[in-house]
Amino acid sequence: MADRRDVAAHPVYLAGGVADAEEQSERKFIERLAQRDERAFNELVELYEARVFRLLLRMLGRRDEAEDMAQEVFVQIFKAVSTFRGDSKLSTWIYRVSVNLCKNRMKYLARRHSEGEDELEPVAERAALDEAKGVTFGDVAQPDRLVEGYQIERVVQQCIAELDPDFREVLILRDLEDLSYEELSEITGLADGTVKSRLHRARSMLKANVERKMGEKIR
Amino acid sequence: MTDPGHDEANETAPPSAAAQEPDESLRSMLRGALREEEPPPNVLAGVQKRIRERSKGKFYADGWSTAKHPPLNTYLITSLLMLAILVISYALLSPLVGSPVPVRNQPVPIQVIPR
Repeated sequence: MADRRDVAAHPVYLAGGVADAEEQSERKFIERLAQRDERAFNELVELYEARVFRLLLRMLGRRDEAEDMAQEVFVQIFKAVSTFRGDSKLSTWIYRVSVNLCKNRMKYLARRHSEGEDELEPVAERAALDEAKGVTFGDVAQPDRLVEGYQIERVVQQCIAELDPDFREVLILRDLEDLSYEELSEITGLADGTVKSRLHRARSMLKANVERKMGEKIR
Repeated sequence: MTDPGHDEANETAPPSAAAQEPDESLRSMLRGALREEEPPPNVLAGVQKRIRERSKGKFYADGWSTAKHPPLNTYLITSLLMLAILVISYALLSPLVGSPVPVRNQPVPIQVIPR
């Protein structure tokens, strides 16, 4: 075991531990952002653009919309970063800004009826639901399975798009982005119990809708 | 399947611990359907452009794209500079250009072989 004094002499431990050092580093980064440091903001965009884009794409379902929205999210972050008090992690705050802007855009899009309305094939012609597990359009080698995989994907995508934005939000954040319940509470502004309940309902609704469209149960 | 009638009061009771467990088949299906195969786009340039335009050049300023009035002085100086370069180039290169060498097209004398 290393000498306690040696460990304490390490610059990281001087700051009071690894977590504290990370917190300090984030605090300094936020200070730079609040001072409108363009280089710091470039770093922030490069650090979070993939995560923000992926979340928005999953929420909106359209690549062009997601890219436009991602740019808007970062513009809003640039404007509002001086108001960030550091009560939560920076990443959580960025998620919150993204989700709120995204929900506003979804409401706007819903009003304009601009969402795609692709007609799906009749239920009897679709593949079994078992094939949906991990089967994606890119994975399937045979042409017939390729079409089946594609159809299953389309059904799931359509069912997600039909979910109410409040349910879609928790489902994506938890089951796809792997965020904790605590982070979900901070992002949505809901109580822990409400988040869990809403997530449970979202899963049930999605499952029921997929089963109804596919005509069989998910096992 | 949209459920606009949901109210938060009914949602506050958390489901049982078993019900909170994620359904792996459902999660796998979700991940499969929403898997992004193309790489995410680079949004930095677009973000910088929006900030530059909305801040009227205060941030990410390049001095050109967001100026309120066209930068006439810059255009004028650039034009004069280009003109000067052209004149200097012409002055340097023109002495090298001579007149073409005349070509004499005289017939070659024919030598008649005596018998």
